[in-house]
Amino acid sequence: MSRTTVFAREQLRAPFTLALLVTIPALFVVSAAGVLSDFASALGGSLAGDAAVALSAGWAAAFVSGTLGFFQAASSRGADRRLALAARSPARVAVSRIAASVFLAVVAAAAALSALVVRVGVAHPWHAAIAVLAFALLYLAVGVLVGSLVTAPLEGSLLVVFVFLLDAFAGPGMTGGSPPAWAISQKAAEILIAAAAGTSSPAGDWVKAALVTAAALVAAFLAFVASARSRS
Amino acid sequence: MTVTTTAAIAPVLAVDGVTKTFRSGPPWHRRRVEVLRGVSLEVRPGELVGLVGENGSGKSTLMQIIVGLLRRDGGALRVPGRLGYCPQQPLLWDKLTVAEHFELFAQAYRLDQASANTSRDSLLDEFGFARYLDRRVEELSGGTRQKLNLALALMHEPTLLLLDEPYSGFDWETYTRFWEMAEHRRESGMGILVVSHLLAERERLTRIYELRDGRCEVTT
Repeated sequence: MSRTTVFAREQLRAPFTLALLVTIPALFVVSAAGVLSDFASALGGSLAGDAAVALSAGWAAAFVSGTLGFFQAASSRGADRRLALAARSPARVAVSRIAASVFLAVVAAAAALSALVVRVGVAHPWHAAIAVLAFALLYLAVGVLVGSLVTAPLEGSLLVVFVFLLDAFAGPGMTGGSPPAWAISQKAAEILIAAAAGTSSPAGDWVKAALVTAAALVAAFLAFVASARSRS
Repeated sequence: MTVTTTAAIAPVLAVDGVTKTFRSGPPWHRRRVEVLRGVSLEVRPGELVGLVGENGSGKSTLMQIIVGLLRRDGGALRVPGRLGYCPQQPLLWDKLTVAEHFELFAQAYRLDQASANTSRDSLLDEFGFARYLDRRVEELSGGTRQKLNLALALMHEPTLLLLDEPYSGFDWETYTRFWEMAEHRRESGMGILVVSHLLAERERLTRIYELRDGRCEVTT
């Protein structure tokens, strides 16, 4: 059995993980869309209707993946460091740990997309699937990055939620202005909203979303490797 | 006799003048705590060496420097490629079984399947916890976790075995078995360093270093 499979199995054995994977996407898509619309109108944005429901599926995948990514990295840090020491390769352990998290992110994205399709239907389901997966992978990276640097569960999970909230409120349609450059999920959100409306996104948006997601995963990998190395 | 024989052999662990200072607090009120002020010690193949010291004397800091978890500020260090490390607190995954732990470490040590199985079965038998093979760590007692912690350090028959307070949580029978294991490994040529704040089995040890005021001295 590969190291990645063992790590994924470790996460799935936590009852909390399974509950998160099943309930959060459904709850978000059913109940969060209205809240997102209300906040958007209060902030001067235009997000409403099916666009808000579609975006809530992205945020559901992001929330579940970010939380699981954080706890994967933080809760097993000591044992992972020991394994990295035994293997004399923190990079191998990092790859396995992140690959196991990617598996969970895919499951979270699939659950969120299913909830979205059941609730409103999507004109471009493949576009929506890729955008929701981008949300999940981005926040998986945020979770692993924070979990590699902050081990305390309260502080770490608060930090992940803080990034999530900033990003969510700065997203497209949430305010009257354009999303700021630091809104990491901006392009994934625009692709998702367009997919729900049945329009295609420009190639530049796809490339930017892919680049931001890849950069986030690389940053998470580097932070994990750095945390497994000798400390001064 | 043992000392004369092993003295001619190159040490498997050579620590020479290692220093370590921790800094804490904000930059405008930085505090420096000098934990190691030039520690030197060595372990040769076939030696069972003790390292004692009061709580906070720097034993675990030195151990972490030797295994590579902490960087030293100064001094020199020579360690072998095949190193076994048993940390003070069992560093294990709560949701994984004993069998899965052996599997992960066998991969890390790059053991082939046959060697991994032989090593695992022999360690399970030696420490008497074979019946827990399919149990998750969260279901194990503290003593059984400590046995697994120790077994994982021994899986690849290391040249140098570093044990940080290895027998906390052991019952008397396991404690006795632990020392038999250590002597057996020492006789087969393994170099072993046991770190503890209390070493009752002094007659079993080749020598004992005491860590005091950041320096090491041989006490026996």
